[in-house]
Amino acid sequence: MTTALLSVRGVSVSFGGVKVLDGIDLDVKPGEIRGLIGPNGAGKTTMLNVISGIHAPHQGDVLLDGVSIVGRKPSNIARLGLGRTFQTSQLFRGMTVLENLMTGLHHRTTAGLIATSLNLRRYREEEEAAEEAARQALEFIGMSAFADRPGSALSFGQQRVIEIARTLIGDPKVVLLDEPAVGLSLNRLTEFDALLRRIRDEKGVTLILIEHVIRLVMDVCDQVTVLSSGRRIAEGTPDTVRNNPEVIEAYLGKELRARHSAP
Amino acid sequence: MALFGRRNVLLAMLLVAAAAPSFLNAYYVFVANTILIYVLLAIGLNILVGNTGQLAFANAAMFGIGAYGTGLLQVHFGWPFWLAFPSGAVIATAVGLAISLPALRLSGLYLALSTLAFAQFTQWVFLNWEAVTFGAGGFKTPTISFAPLPISKPMGLYYLSLILVIVLFVLAQNLVRSRIGRAFVAVRDSEIAAQSLGVDLLRYKALAFGISGFYAGIAGGLYSAMLNFVSPEGYDLFQMVIQKAMIVVGGLGSIAGSVLGASALVSILELLRKVKGFQEIVFGAILVGFILFMPGGIIGFLKAKVRGWEEPLHRARPGKRSTSAAATSESSEVRP
Repeated sequence: MTTALLSVRGVSVSFGGVKVLDGIDLDVKPGEIRGLIGPNGAGKTTMLNVISGIHAPHQGDVLLDGVSIVGRKPSNIARLGLGRTFQTSQLFRGMTVLENLMTGLHHRTTAGLIATSLNLRRYREEEEAAEEAARQALEFIGMSAFADRPGSALSFGQQRVIEIARTLIGDPKVVLLDEPAVGLSLNRLTEFDALLRRIRDEKGVTLILIEHVIRLVMDVCDQVTVLSSGRRIAEGTPDTVRNNPEVIEAYLGKELRARHSAP
Repeated sequence: MALFGRRNVLLAMLLVAAAAPSFLNAYYVFVANTILIYVLLAIGLNILVGNTGQLAFANAAMFGIGAYGTGLLQVHFGWPFWLAFPSGAVIATAVGLAISLPALRLSGLYLALSTLAFAQFTQWVFLNWEAVTFGAGGFKTPTISFAPLPISKPMGLYYLSLILVIVLFVLAQNLVRSRIGRAFVAVRDSEIAAQSLGVDLLRYKALAFGISGFYAGIAGGLYSAMLNFVSPEGYDLFQMVIQKAMIVVGGLGSIAGSVLGASALVSILELLRKVKGFQEIVFGAILVGFILFMPGGIIGFLKAKVRGWEEPLHRARPGKRSTSAAATSESSEVRP
């Protein structure tokens, strides 16, 4: 319990009387890659929105490294070391790839109105360090060639990977990835697996990912949590979850479950 | 460096502007001074609308508050211009920050409507609070003097405006390519992603409102001094439309574009002043033409056609750009 880096405790959220999340608990250890799966409408994205501060839970608490983050602004939570990406591409289209990455350092830089507008040395040094870090981050994902491309001139899949790098550059403790593999072709999945593992191993970042590409979840996740209709119905290693009857039922329905478990 | 790049062209414009009073008659110096004032307005408005993406309609009101503030502090309290002018700008900045508070919760059309309502309210105050603002007839401001300097008032004011334009242009240019400028664009392009990277939305929207208020306040103070007169109609909805047109024609999100847009539109409006009724028609046609055929404005055209007009949102490190282009080949570990 105490070793959890991110801890969600009894979180409930309802929208207009509909309970989207119903008393969810989740404990993620440092260095873990956690999968969050479940049928459509299970509350997965709402869960990420609660953790990142976009929705306030009606009940329950969220602790990041022992600090309660409920009620804080999303920007404040980011500062505390939580990064995330989104289901749709949220790359800044009016910036180049390099500038997108430099924006990822916003909360790790401090130059204010006076230092920036007067172009003071302190700011220039910070800016140079930011550019250097951005180039390294591009190297990490193997996309150095794209530094000066405008954000609007990339394929969907490229945008997704750059968004991940843009979050990583700010040195987060935990990163939430909302369907990161959407837009990736199947033969890129293995590379993507490797990238996720490298993020964990080389950057020491704990990952929580929502994913519909079950192969990716099974390959890369240490632990999987299954949500259905706002409740947690299973949790464990990918293998145990895969064979859990309730999970099969949530995905396939009752009849198929019977057929599935028959032979 | 490209011969007709941004830096050279703007420097040439600056040289012409600096020499202008020596070969222009009094009327054209007045026009040139008007251009300088509108350059300030356009830069401030463009940071708010073009860079930060906040569709606000209060800039004409803040222009007016700068003008009224500067004028009324002189008339009612006998303050010298040199004190009243910065105070007027501070008041406009404060008002900009104040209207940003309710505006921060709104976006898009709702922001446009609420700021428009504020602008109309400001007009109403200018018109009806006669004890202070002298109502619809307006009031005369004292003629300012550049006393120890051997320079006439129009000349002095022209060069004061020019110096302020240079300084505020450079400050804005530095700002937009810094982490603060990138935060503005981040707010414009995706609020949700900006937040998740630690950009405090309220803070950066308020900052953009404050900056546009400051630039408008400075412009207003200069305008009141140039005309020696302040009245409500200079700061009405049409004023707002002119300023919006300048940043659209010049190029949204571009400081250099603000300069070009303001220069172009003031010149065209002045040229057409003699042809009564024609002004509005041509003005409307230009606006429609740009929106339809050149949505990137003059600056968008220049960026596409002429070398040296790029405006990166970061400081290009000298000598570093070429290496990044050269080291492009191998890296393709993940290319989805």
